[in-house]
Amino acid sequence: MKTNTMSYKFKQYLLFAGISTIIFACVVIIPFIYGLYLTFTSWDGVSRNKPFVGMANYVNAFADSGYWTSLGRTFIYSAIAVILVNAVAFIIAYMVTSGIKGQNFFRAGFFVPNLIGGIVLGYVWKFVFNKAFVELANTISSGHAKSLLATETGAIAALIIVSVWQYAGYMMLIYVAGFMSVSEDVIEAAKIDGCTGTQSIIHISIPLMTASFVQCLFLTITRCFMVYDVNLSLTNGDPYGSSALAAMHVYNQAFINKNYGTGQAEALILFVICAIIGGLQVYVGKKGEVQA
Amino acid sequence: MENEIAARNKKIKHAIMIIILAILFVAFIFPFIMVIINVFKVKSDITANPLALIGRHGFTLENFPNAIKKMNFFRSFGNSLVITIFSTIGTIILSSMTAYLIVRNNWKANKILFVTMIASMVIPFQVLMVPLVSLYGGIFGVLNHRLTLIIMHIGFSLSMATFMFHGSIHTNVPISLEEAATIDGCNKWQIFSQIVFPILKPTIATVAIIDAMAFWNDYLLPSLVLGRKELYTIPIATKVFYGTYSTDTGLIMAALLLAMLPILILYLFLQRYIVEGITAGAVK
Amino acid sequence: MKKKFLSLAVVAAMSASLVACGGSDGASGSSSNGSGTSITILNSKTEIQTQFEEMAEQYEEATGVHVEVYNADTDTTVASQVATKYASNDPYTLTMVDAKDIYSLADDYAYDLSNEDWVGHTTLGITVNDKLAGFPFCVEARGIIYNADAIEAITGEKFDPASVATLDDFKALLDKLVAGGMEKPVGVLSEYWSLGAHYFAEVYEQQPDPDAFVNSLLAGEEDLASNEKFNELMDTFDTLIAYNYAKGSAANADREETSMMLAEGQIAFMFGGNWDWSVLNQYDYTENMGIMPVPENTSDDTNTKLVGGGSKYIFVDSSDATSDEQRQAALDFLSWLVNDAEGNAFLTEQCALVPAFDNIDASALDPLSLSVKSYADAGKLIPNYNYLPDDHMTVVGQEIMQKYLDEAMTRPELVTAVQDYFKTATPIQH
Repeated sequence: MKTNTMSYKFKQYLLFAGISTIIFACVVIIPFIYGLYLTFTSWDGVSRNKPFVGMANYVNAFADSGYWTSLGRTFIYSAIAVILVNAVAFIIAYMVTSGIKGQNFFRAGFFVPNLIGGIVLGYVWKFVFNKAFVELANTISSGHAKSLLATETGAIAALIIVSVWQYAGYMMLIYVAGFMSVSEDVIEAAKIDGCTGTQSIIHISIPLMTASFVQCLFLTITRCFMVYDVNLSLTNGDPYGSSALAAMHVYNQAFINKNYGTGQAEALILFVICAIIGGLQVYVGKKGEVQA
Repeated sequence: MENEIAARNKKIKHAIMIIILAILFVAFIFPFIMVIINVFKVKSDITANPLALIGRHGFTLENFPNAIKKMNFFRSFGNSLVITIFSTIGTIILSSMTAYLIVRNNWKANKILFVTMIASMVIPFQVLMVPLVSLYGGIFGVLNHRLTLIIMHIGFSLSMATFMFHGSIHTNVPISLEEAATIDGCNKWQIFSQIVFPILKPTIATVAIIDAMAFWNDYLLPSLVLGRKELYTIPIATKVFYGTYSTDTGLIMAALLLAMLPILILYLFLQRYIVEGITAGAVK
Repeated sequence: MKKKFLSLAVVAAMSASLVACGGSDGASGSSSNGSGTSITILNSKTEIQTQFEEMAEQYEEATGVHVEVYNADTDTTVASQVATKYASNDPYTLTMVDAKDIYSLADDYAYDLSNEDWVGHTTLGITVNDKLAGFPFCVEARGIIYNADAIEAITGEKFDPASVATLDDFKALLDKLVAGGMEKPVGVLSEYWSLGAHYFAEVYEQQPDPDAFVNSLLAGEEDLASNEKFNELMDTFDTLIAYNYAKGSAANADREETSMMLAEGQIAFMFGGNWDWSVLNQYDYTENMGIMPVPENTSDDTNTKLVGGGSKYIFVDSSDATSDEQRQAALDFLSWLVNDAEGNAFLTEQCALVPAFDNIDASALDPLSLSVKSYADAGKLIPNYNYLPDDHMTVVGQEIMQKYLDEAMTRPELVTAVQDYFKTATPIQH
């Protein structure tokens, strides 16, 4: 059997990846290209004609101060959320792999938040922040407590809390896997050499788990940068539009302010930024990877 | 003696960890407690006092039958089930085949495909939303079919799933096994379906739960594709309860619980595979 | 051999699935019900969705026409939902939208209703380029909703809304209520549609010539700080803020909670409109409620009028996606609403709406709608202004007015912010 001919390769490709390629192209690539084209039109999202306007939407996007403000906000939100999600996930993962009682129960429990979809999740949390927490605070201090969602920093903090709650369980699973892949022998050897528990985590487990870190960071960074549904149902930009993150601004620009082309152009800029940060992080991470 | 001290220290350490975990666990589960407390109350009691175990109007079960009727639960449930099952199976088969091809053949086309897929994981969905409906509704007119949604679900989840299978095949499938099979006269397809695929079980379970969860909960894409009531999935049907200017909290809570149950059962069923699966995917 | 067969099978299956989805096109658009025509309607008054669905069942029994009622999506605007439906060439037969949406959609998609038999019964329809495009679904108006029981329980005398037409009188009453034990008698909704599209909009609507006023704002020529109507309305707003029960966390006052407090008499006043009845009646309400004009210290008579008029307009799809039978069924449905006793009962009794047609009897309405109707009948409605820029609600409502409500912005800052907004806003062509 010849495995080097063009026709062999073609047939193999068709057999194993043919359908995937077609579906992927139809669902993602072609709409993406069409979407790219729409950024060069001044379509309002409603009417039948889509006049070609060249680079005007990109010029508008760069001049849209609201967009850059929301993007800056997204950076701050993402930076804090990414660190917290990964820290919490890592600590929980450490604890549920240290051989304590009921660790399987905890693993399952922390993963449960992932079972509810984004929009519903935001509504439930809104209820918790606005009603349950306020009610709790009122009972304790017998005053009229202010909801976290009513202040500018509070709303962003609330978004971060919900993100940590939502993603920590998922990332925990990846870290659990990482911990389990660090072989017992290495840790034992370290112990014999006089390493304390903390030392062995810092000097042995963490370097050996670089792959887990790379994967978790990639997932959290991209998800945080593009968060929309929780933003919508939890704060919807309140108070005073101070909690609208980039994806929400883009959406409002396109569909509420009816500047479809500008919104689409802003979304593409978001995509590029996201891809660069994600790619850079994976590249740096992979370089630091230790071959076990 | 030293061992005893070590054992005692370990015990104390474990106790502390269990306490911390328990506290965190309560924090994680708190919203669910709120849902369960309030699902048995009428709307006015929920607004008046969300923390009370029983409201002024007493304990009520009526949120459930009301929610079931209003969201046409059984029809939506059936739609969600069909769409989730077929999309998940489709994604698993197609992405594992694609990943296998990419891992085992160092061709240029494969590299291009893989890189494109990874890059596509960071495309905001808003970018694709309108083009998608313009093309498949406006030009081809294939919206309002479950099959269209299934294919689109597969298209959007292929990248991530291929990425996970890629890592798993790379680390967990010994190439020597395949070479032995080739000598025995197996072709590539037989090797894949009879040797490689079964080894991937843990990753399959992980991809299954992650994608099934995503499909089951997805709102935006189904709402664009399925414009007809008889095709509604559970998340779209649940939207009945969110009025623009008012929300019927009790019904939302009931709907949330009803919608969550099947996926919770699936999760508990697949749970033991999941950690193994992620191990396989994460460690390259 | 086997391999070849397999790949062939795969390709065949693939193309079959593609053909299958291509081939089944059309089933969605045309009538799917063998016994009669099937039409769809988008209901953007989400609070009457249940009544709408019940009506659809009865309507099908009576006429054989199947009506499928869709609820507007709350995560986007109605306009964007309609836009996506048109982009996917799968529009509703009848679409209920806000007045401003009619202007952007009518040219491309609305069927001309000028020849319908109900045209003579209303003056509220919307005409775009000589085409009667919008069927007025109901009349709605806004003002201050009061709970007379709550007021009378403290003052001990019958409450007459006309007695608090000026801000000074209103303030005096509020102080009386406070002295009588109602610590904070007012509720202000913090939702941006309420602040932007309902309250602040009155600044434009109460001008002698709203169009000229908005145009001069757009041109950057208007000095808002010296505008009489602006100051009068904002003075009143300051009073509402001062007596707001949620003062201190005003930007987060919840609509359900505020409505509950008004219904149960814990507060006496709330800015809103007759649509609020559907929320109020969820709680332990009193019938002794009504809507009064926003009190103002003013020399004109705007403090004797509510602001409102036709609200929610239905247009019939004119595109090829709708068949002639469907279009006829849609027109028949609109005519049924106006001319049939059952249709009238649906509007006024089941949905408790103030009808936009003079032939419909509306004596059995809820208290708020009765108020609105009495003002409408007396010619005391200031018309809605429907040409505010698209982002007015999010910018002026959310970013500016919400901040002002929360006392995080002063009046001069608000003036600058609004004026700056208008300088960059895109005007609505009309």
